[in-house]
Amino acid sequence: MMWMCVAVFLLWMRSGRCTDKANTSDLIEYTAADFYEKLHSGKMMFIYFEHQVSPTISLFLVELEKSAEALQDYGVLVGKVNCNKELVYKYCSEERLLHTAFLFRGGKEFLSFGLDTIFDVNSIVSEVLFAILRDEIKYVHTDADLLAMEKAARGKKDIVLGYVCSLGTQEHRSIMETAYVYGSKYQFILITGGPVLKHLGVNESSPLSRVWFLHCRVHSGFMIPMTSERCPLTRMRKPLSTLSLHSFLQLMEAPLVTEVYDDPSSVQPPQFPYQQTPQVFLFSHPATEHLDLDMATTLAWRLRGLALLLLVHRQSPAVKTPDEYNAAYRLPEKSLEVKYLTLNSLDEVLVLFADQEKDEEEEDDDEEDNEGVDDDEEDSHFGKLDDEIAAAVFENRGTLPDMDSVTQLTSDNFHSAVAQSSLTVVLFYLKWDAVSMAFLSSFIEVAERLADSEVNEVQMSVVDCGEWTDLCAAQPGSAVPFQPITAFPSVLFLHPQHPAQHFRGMLGSEALHRFIMISRVASPVLLSTLEEAQSFLLEVPHPELAGYQLDRVVGLFEAQAQTAAFTEAAKSLRGEALTGLLTDELAEKWAADHSVDLPAVLVFPSWRTHTYPFTLPASSSAEELLTHINTALLHPMPELTVENLPSFFLLGKALLLLFVGEEEDKIGRRQNQALVKEMRTVVESGGEKMERYLACWIHLGRTPAGMSVLGSYAGSMPPLPALVLTHLPSGDQIYQYPPNTPIVASSVLHWLQRVEDGTESPTGLLDEDSWPPAFEFYDFLKIMDMQEPDSAQQQTPKEEEEEVNEEEVNVKEHVVVEDMTNDNRHAHSEL
Amino acid sequence: MDPSLPSVILFILIGYVLSSFDNRHHNVTRRYDYCVLGAGPAGLQMGYFLSKARRNYVILERNSGPGSFFNKYPRHRKLISINKIYTGRGNREFNLRHDWNSLLSDKPDLLFKRVSDEFYPPADAFPQYLSLFVRELGLRVQYGVDVGRIRAVQSATGRHYILTDQHASDYTCSVLLVATGLWVPHTVDFVGADLVEGYESISTNPQDYKDQAVLILGKGNSAFETAQSILGRASRVHMLSSSPVRLAWQTHYVGDLRAVNNELIDTYQLKSLDGLAEARLEKIVIAQQKEEGERRLAGKKKEKRKQLYLMLNKYMHNRNSFDATQEELPGHHIDNFPMRKPYDRVIRCLGFRFNFSIFDSSACPPNSENAKGRLPALTPWYEGKNTPGLFVLGTASHSRDYRSSAGGFVHGFRYTARAVHRLLEHRYHRNPWPSTQLLTTQLQSWILKRVDEASGPYQMFEMLGDVILLRGSHCEYLEEFPLQALPQLSSLSGHEVSMHGLIVLVMQYGKKKIDYLGRSRAETEWTNAWKSNFLHPVLYYYKTLPSVEEMKLRPNGWPLPRPQAIHHIVEDFLTEWDAPISHIQPLRRFLEHCLQTDLRAFYAESCFRSSLTHRMPPLFCQQGYLKQQGIPRNSQLRQRVHDAGLTHTKQDVGTSNADSTFPNYLVPAGASMSSGLKLDL
Repeated sequence: MMWMCVAVFLLWMRSGRCTDKANTSDLIEYTAADFYEKLHSGKMMFIYFEHQVSPTISLFLVELEKSAEALQDYGVLVGKVNCNKELVYKYCSEERLLHTAFLFRGGKEFLSFGLDTIFDVNSIVSEVLFAILRDEIKYVHTDADLLAMEKAARGKKDIVLGYVCSLGTQEHRSIMETAYVYGSKYQFILITGGPVLKHLGVNESSPLSRVWFLHCRVHSGFMIPMTSERCPLTRMRKPLSTLSLHSFLQLMEAPLVTEVYDDPSSVQPPQFPYQQTPQVFLFSHPATEHLDLDMATTLAWRLRGLALLLLVHRQSPAVKTPDEYNAAYRLPEKSLEVKYLTLNSLDEVLVLFADQEKDEEEEDDDEEDNEGVDDDEEDSHFGKLDDEIAAAVFENRGTLPDMDSVTQLTSDNFHSAVAQSSLTVVLFYLKWDAVSMAFLSSFIEVAERLADSEVNEVQMSVVDCGEWTDLCAAQPGSAVPFQPITAFPSVLFLHPQHPAQHFRGMLGSEALHRFIMISRVASPVLLSTLEEAQSFLLEVPHPELAGYQLDRVVGLFEAQAQTAAFTEAAKSLRGEALTGLLTDELAEKWAADHSVDLPAVLVFPSWRTHTYPFTLPASSSAEELLTHINTALLHPMPELTVENLPSFFLLGKALLLLFVGEEEDKIGRRQNQALVKEMRTVVESGGEKMERYLACWIHLGRTPAGMSVLGSYAGSMPPLPALVLTHLPSGDQIYQYPPNTPIVASSVLHWLQRVEDGTESPTGLLDEDSWPPAFEFYDFLKIMDMQEPDSAQQQTPKEEEEEVNEEEVNVKEHVVVEDMTNDNRHAHSEL
Repeated sequence: MDPSLPSVILFILIGYVLSSFDNRHHNVTRRYDYCVLGAGPAGLQMGYFLSKARRNYVILERNSGPGSFFNKYPRHRKLISINKIYTGRGNREFNLRHDWNSLLSDKPDLLFKRVSDEFYPPADAFPQYLSLFVRELGLRVQYGVDVGRIRAVQSATGRHYILTDQHASDYTCSVLLVATGLWVPHTVDFVGADLVEGYESISTNPQDYKDQAVLILGKGNSAFETAQSILGRASRVHMLSSSPVRLAWQTHYVGDLRAVNNELIDTYQLKSLDGLAEARLEKIVIAQQKEEGERRLAGKKKEKRKQLYLMLNKYMHNRNSFDATQEELPGHHIDNFPMRKPYDRVIRCLGFRFNFSIFDSSACPPNSENAKGRLPALTPWYEGKNTPGLFVLGTASHSRDYRSSAGGFVHGFRYTARAVHRLLEHRYHRNPWPSTQLLTTQLQSWILKRVDEASGPYQMFEMLGDVILLRGSHCEYLEEFPLQALPQLSSLSGHEVSMHGLIVLVMQYGKKKIDYLGRSRAETEWTNAWKSNFLHPVLYYYKTLPSVEEMKLRPNGWPLPRPQAIHHIVEDFLTEWDAPISHIQPLRRFLEHCLQTDLRAFYAESCFRSSLTHRMPPLFCQQGYLKQQGIPRNSQLRQRVHDAGLTHTKQDVGTSNADSTFPNYLVPAGASMSSGLKLDL
């Protein structure tokens, strides 16, 4: 209690002091006029509009002031406008802006920041620089993306790869500051942990901020151990700070191996900026010159960032080092003394410097030591799960799914349980199937959500097919309403007295929930009055469905007798779309209103206003009708998402893909809308010619997975928007619309024409189709052949099937007859 | 009086009338597509499959009820086939792994546990169960038909078998399924064999052995069962046979001595008066000691039983005499001869042999090379060698896996009967071996399912195995094919092997002799799976079917020839092979190697990426995501991450524009956000 009081007191004292200071601060306070003047000059400004001063705000103002100096170096003016003195339109009038600071650039608002993300000088500097550099610093969140970036940078730029364990920290600031300085020289990439860290060999449980240098520019003249398509990388071993990062980058520029003709003692110690770096000397003989250089290069790669390597040519008369020594080194700051060594292997040098390294990052290495995993490679190849779904399920193995909200069906209770509900949703799963288990939790989530929204007539149930194998096999004994289940997970919808319906949708809670909610509605709904028909089109059958985009299909028939095909089609659309049926006079009236001839099927896709439905002729076969309906439901110029790609992909058309970035503001949004509209014009004005293409767009904010797709098409992240033509039926070529040309319908069409004419050259190729195993299998035969050479070999034909019976009779004590020993092949046994 | 009795009688009467009507009706022809000889477990098992397939069949039985062997045997009336009722599992297939008495049928409750709940059930329960089986499935059995002669005739329509019964009635059969079992006591020819009592006729009353010295010839289960029953009464029990005792828990062969019968080993090793010895029975002589001046035959009635001596024929002067002189006794030559003291009784417990005598030379399968020729020699698909159309089922078919697997026992041959029926269906009715078509991405799960529950390959280890015919994006899964018949797979099953090759899934024991209860008996490291000692799954990958020659020259102790690639799934204490790292991932990598394709599962987002950057995404995405069945990252998992404080969702609330500085996709990837100071202090 005492302690609490003291703490509160201290806090109060502190905030009090801060308030004082803020009031008398020399922070540049702008008047409205100043503000507008600076704004129109196009300068970058980071401004906070002060309304009232609370302790929190004054803390912020202190930090803001500190950052003013730092940001000045980067050409950003920092200041505040006091709204209590005079009003700046918009920024002073809105209460909600109290906790927001703004960055202005080029005469307009560029970005806004919530005060909770810019709480101190480090976070202010890092966030502001981050915002300014956003086009230069790339984000990478999977290894595949990184690979694409590496490919793009190969031969051009080296890559600086940073991982910060949290944003707004000093480490984040260090990377941003360095990126500001070196941004044109190196490609800066921020990674977000996860798979990329794994690739880099970092144990995720020790999330220290780190930096790596990827040597993607080819260093001619040196043998580079480029065993794979990856750029060789060097990890920065010093703790991350602006200074250390700076010197690390400089060190990366140092020559890998320097050849000298002087004795090590007379070689100069490293000059600025490498004066803090140890030197390692190896010696070269004329006879083995190439070999020596190779060896030195190999060692230099391993010492990169730790020490500089010099190769001393012994034949030079200046070299006085006795022959017994084959290596030497000089540590920084420890006079100019050179220590001489006789090495048996290169590893000894590494040990020398690795020890240093160890001191620097104890935590890290300790952890690895404790685990006792020396054989890193073996471990990563066989000890870890390489399947992303299996790994996620395995990670989560501690939390067992709570099965209370679902009915567990067994061979014994199946029939009675299914008979109880108007809709039983059954998940067939296998415990050892990771996909089943991943989906099981989504399934349970849906069950809980249905229970919460009191949807009681839907029974959510599961069958463990590892246990109720005869039920899942639909064995004759049980007469169940489905075929044997051979794919897991499978979800069936069972309405009593109806054949089972397979759930065909994304195996996630959203898609399943939507499907269930739509399934509850009869399919088709019999619409008997005009009001019913109206509400069918306009209203949502259940509040839970409010958020979903609903497609509707209405059948219009003169007589009930004609509806068979439509009714069947409606049944298979159950869960996916709402279907309604109008007959007789009502149908005639409707047909007249929509000026269609009976019989007809009207399709109201969710993306179109309901006043303009598609009219389909009523086909005689349900299948044909379904095809027509499904085609009509497809958007002609869709925004591709992870969810909807499959339905468009299977059309087999070439993709004309527009990538747009995430909008920061209204202007951006308007720009994107205009782009999409322009694309629509492309489709419309291209007419028939465009039919072989699927024009579509990806919003990188909503579908971030599109980032790496674009990266892989273009070889690097091109400026947005970007337009790409790919998946041509004729080949694997990828064409990119010239990045700096405005996307205008006419020029896009021309470009397409040039592509067709073969006058455009492709910018890339789709990756190969074959997906060979990503990992080696463990070859038991090879191991057997090694460890027990003959055990796995076929016998040679000579040894006629003489059954060797190794059992020997050793029971000397009680052997009755001495001569019985050898021939006991026909030893008997009874049955 | 039991009120149901009259109705039972009525039922029997009707049955009798009907069946006699039936008989008269068939008197003219008596032709069947299938004749099953014997209504024991194997005959009835085959009868069930024939009946289910609606084939024209008959089961002929000379006795008045099914399974009559079990009315007499085992003599001491306790079955040693385990009847495990409680397994903790509802999986009926799995439960059959631990139910050694039930026959296969599609009636889930037609199980042996209905007639007995004892772990080692009484022998009487077995015919009772078989009667139940016949009744509930309505199998066509003709009792009282004692077939004494079987001959084969070749006619224009093909080969037929003609069976003649005790009334000289003939039955003509296109296919003859011999399920007669083994019931002729096996004997060994040695001098004095007539002085020996047989297992089939000995007294089972222990009192009859009071204070007697007993020599038992044989060291199998019937010998030990006999020994065990008299242990408390007899003075000395010695057991003699050519080879030392083989313990079932060491050999994994249920025909070897089971622990349930092995009390005598205890008393032997703890130096009570019992003992085991080895000698070839052909070389022994059982004789009475010769009395001066008078010859007495063994059969002669006398108040006091004659003492019997174990002698060796090399010491005999008169090689045909039952009586021995003092000089002929082994003890005369070797003063510490272990069995120098005489016995009151010698009992022969040497098992049974197949009754070859009813087969005419035209229809007689040759004697097997193993099992001392007591069994008929068969092809790998259980057809008699040289007798096409004649198949041997049940215990008599044990020459295929003599002393290695379970084909001589109910829990094994119920599966071989099914296999034989499947190939009959293909050979005579063009119905290919039943198979399940699977998407290749489902294969791994399906293999794990079989490995975790299948009872056929588990009981008939190294004999029956699942065959997976690879077809690229899908595969055909055939269950329980006889492994030795693999070279003939196409002709026997009606399924062709494609260019993608095939995988065979087998359950196997390790072949090394180890200390079975010692410390290093179990292997747990999956990379050492090939050294597993206990039953474990092994997968063989072949690009093409192995040839007959390759099958013959297969590596020593292997059930199959050397494949292109092999995969052992490490033995598991619970026999549940579902561990992600030790079992599943190595299996997946093996399958990937066989199929030369990536079989990993991917989230929808990854599929999205690979679909757009490649012409076709990996197989899993093709068969899932592109069929609209993508897997979004699990929201519950995300929930967990969120709970752990790794996301900043909550902080977003109310900061509207601010979060646009953080690209949204950072969040699920696991970047943690610094919270800084709270705004509402």
